Amino acid sequence: MDNRLTLTRHIDEDAAQQRLQRLGASAFEPAWVRLWAAGVGMPGGQPGAWLLSAQEMRRALLLVGEALPTCADQPEAGIHIESGAPPSPAEWHRRWLWERMATPRHWRIQVLETAPTPIWLPCWLGYRGGRQHRLMVISGLSGEPLSLLKPLVLTGLRQAYRDEQNTASREPREKAG
Amino acid sequence: MDAFTLLDTIVLIGYISLIAWIGSRFGKDQSNPEDYFLGGRKIPGWAIGLSVMATQASAITFIGAPGWGFEGGLERLVTFINVPLAMIVLIMVFVPVFHRAGIYSIYELLERRFGPATRTLSALLFLIARGLATGVVLYAPALVLAVVTGWSVNLTIIIMAVLAISYTVMGGISAVIWTDVIQMFVLWLGALLSIFFLITSLPGGWSDVFTFGAQSGMFNAIDLSLDPSVTYSLWAGLLGGFFLHVAYFGTDQSQIQRVLSSPSVLDAQRSLLIGGYLLIPQMLLFLFIGVILATYYQQHGLTPPDDLNELLPRYVVNAFPSGMAGLVIAGVFAAAMSSLDSALNSLSAVTVRDFYSRYIKRNASDAHYLKASRLATIFWGLYATLFAFFAGNLGPVIEAVNQIGSWFYGALLGTFLLAIFSHRSNARGAVTGLVTGMLAVWSVSSLLDVSWLYNNTIGVVVSVVVGYLVSLTTTAPRPDQLSDVVMEETAPDMQAALSARASNADAIGTEARLTRRRCIGLFAWFCIMLGMLALLQGWANG
Repeated sequence: MDNRLTLTRHIDEDAAQQRLQRLGASAFEPAWVRLWAAGVGMPGGQPGAWLLSAQEMRRALLLVGEALPTCADQPEAGIHIESGAPPSPAEWHRRWLWERMATPRHWRIQVLETAPTPIWLPCWLGYRGGRQHRLMVISGLSGEPLSLLKPLVLTGLRQAYRDEQNTASREPREKAG
Repeated sequence: MDAFTLLDTIVLIGYISLIAWIGSRFGKDQSNPEDYFLGGRKIPGWAIGLSVMATQASAITFIGAPGWGFEGGLERLVTFINVPLAMIVLIMVFVPVFHRAGIYSIYELLERRFGPATRTLSALLFLIARGLATGVVLYAPALVLAVVTGWSVNLTIIIMAVLAISYTVMGGISAVIWTDVIQMFVLWLGALLSIFFLITSLPGGWSDVFTFGAQSGMFNAIDLSLDPSVTYSLWAGLLGGFFLHVAYFGTDQSQIQRVLSSPSVLDAQRSLLIGGYLLIPQMLLFLFIGVILATYYQQHGLTPPDDLNELLPRYVVNAFPSGMAGLVIAGVFAAAMSSLDSALNSLSAVTVRDFYSRYIKRNASDAHYLKASRLATIFWGLYATLFAFFAGNLGPVIEAVNQIGSWFYGALLGTFLLAIFSHRSNARGAVTGLVTGMLAVWSVSSLLDVSWLYNNTIGVVVSVVVGYLVSLTTTAPRPDQLSDVVMEETAPDMQAALSARASNADAIGTEARLTRRRCIGLFAWFCIMLGMLALLQGWANG
């Protein structure tokens, strides 16, 4: 059974469409990205915020709040993009260092020594046509553009495309056999 | 000869007070720098487009263009004939990159791409060039308006400065844009009324103008000379003027900041579309007023003033009914202020964003930065006012100030082109290209007899070539430095994957087709304008 938590999608289809249109997208679809969440807070205390990241990412997303905004449902429609193993403790600390550098007042806050939680992060993907196709990723929680996630999403989309092509090329052979 | 009457004075004071009041109303709901500098990104594209037009009109058109038309007919129109082409480049290349980067100051993009040195140098050059020019923007119209109204130059400067600073401080970019929209209509009304009164005062009306214009060679707008020293040849207008306008509208914070304030890429593009279609007719209108004035002066045996900038304002005061003259002169006042307010807001944005929040106070609250932005606006307003007071004694310095912009903008455009198009160029190349480009423009304009319209072209070419070659001597930029301008999706297999997914995803709109249609429309407009000028010139020369 899948033990990953699902974060609640706050940005609905209409809002996502509006935001992506502002960014120049001409088509859009929902997506779910599998990430790891690590709590940050005072040593020995409860988490006050969460870092969301994966080994493929150079930085982490910061989600403020004591608890992850989860829902009981499994991820609904949309492409599911997997990521690899969670970052190592040293990698989590390095990623938190980036955030702390941006906000020095949070210097005493640390990554908590608990195991990272696997989560499904809701996103919206926007596509822009023209001479070259472009991808935009916005958060399903806040609607903010998530350029950090683009490499991970692109890898996932490429893998999905290859899988579809492999399936398509296998089917005629199977029918012929 | 009639003078500037009491009724005119009352209308003038009433109008500029109204503009200042309207402008100051916009500051009420502003709580952060995004509201102040970008209007919360809620200002519609058409208003931004008209604001850009108003700034253009005030700076050079209403006061200068009739004088140019009086002196040289339509020859200077080639400077603007390239505007639709320049807008195509801005719509397709610059607007999407700048808008998606989510920046306040365009120089922020240079830091992300090339590092802090390039950003700081570019922002500093902008502050120097625009800061000095702002003093002239205040002084030049004040000089003309003082002659017309009979007020002292210093009083005129103070009135314009105090009003423009007040509503810009309080209302930010929203005040700048919405007051410009009103001023735009007053300016055009003034121009059209001037034409009406002028034409009705000529016995033969329009036929007198066309006969005089054709006989005097005033309709010869297209000069096909290949000599680079001919200032207003078609080639100087196309090749030189094209880069001049791409640089001016694309890399000058005072222009592009308004485009960034639009809610979406489409709105930002629409704002430029308005300028792309209307700037040529606007310039044609004011140059034509000059031609009509020349006909009027010739028929009435009048002697033109020594300063041709005074031509139209003087005519307005002399010929218009009392009260209406006040309104048109108020329009000129307000138009001069609309150049000033745009400059003040952009100077404040660069000061706070590129220097204060970058080097002095990095993590302050929004309220603190909003306060700093307002103080910066006051500082630049006082600076411009002081410069304007002394500008009369500076003489050749004013010319030098005007030239600084043309040395700098071409090289800066080259730096932005490197940032967007060359994935190999790096910080060392960008800075070297920027400095070398400026030196090249300075050398060519000092040593050779070449039309000033080519200055930006020289700056662009030198900064791009030198910047690229120097970049090859050091390491390539890291992928994260390219994230604003280069997408990883450009790989062929990624393109195929995205194409497949996009074709199965829900459609949002028709933006790509719309942008393409808009650009084709602008190109057709350029061809129509050029064709009409050629026809007019062919008719005038028999």
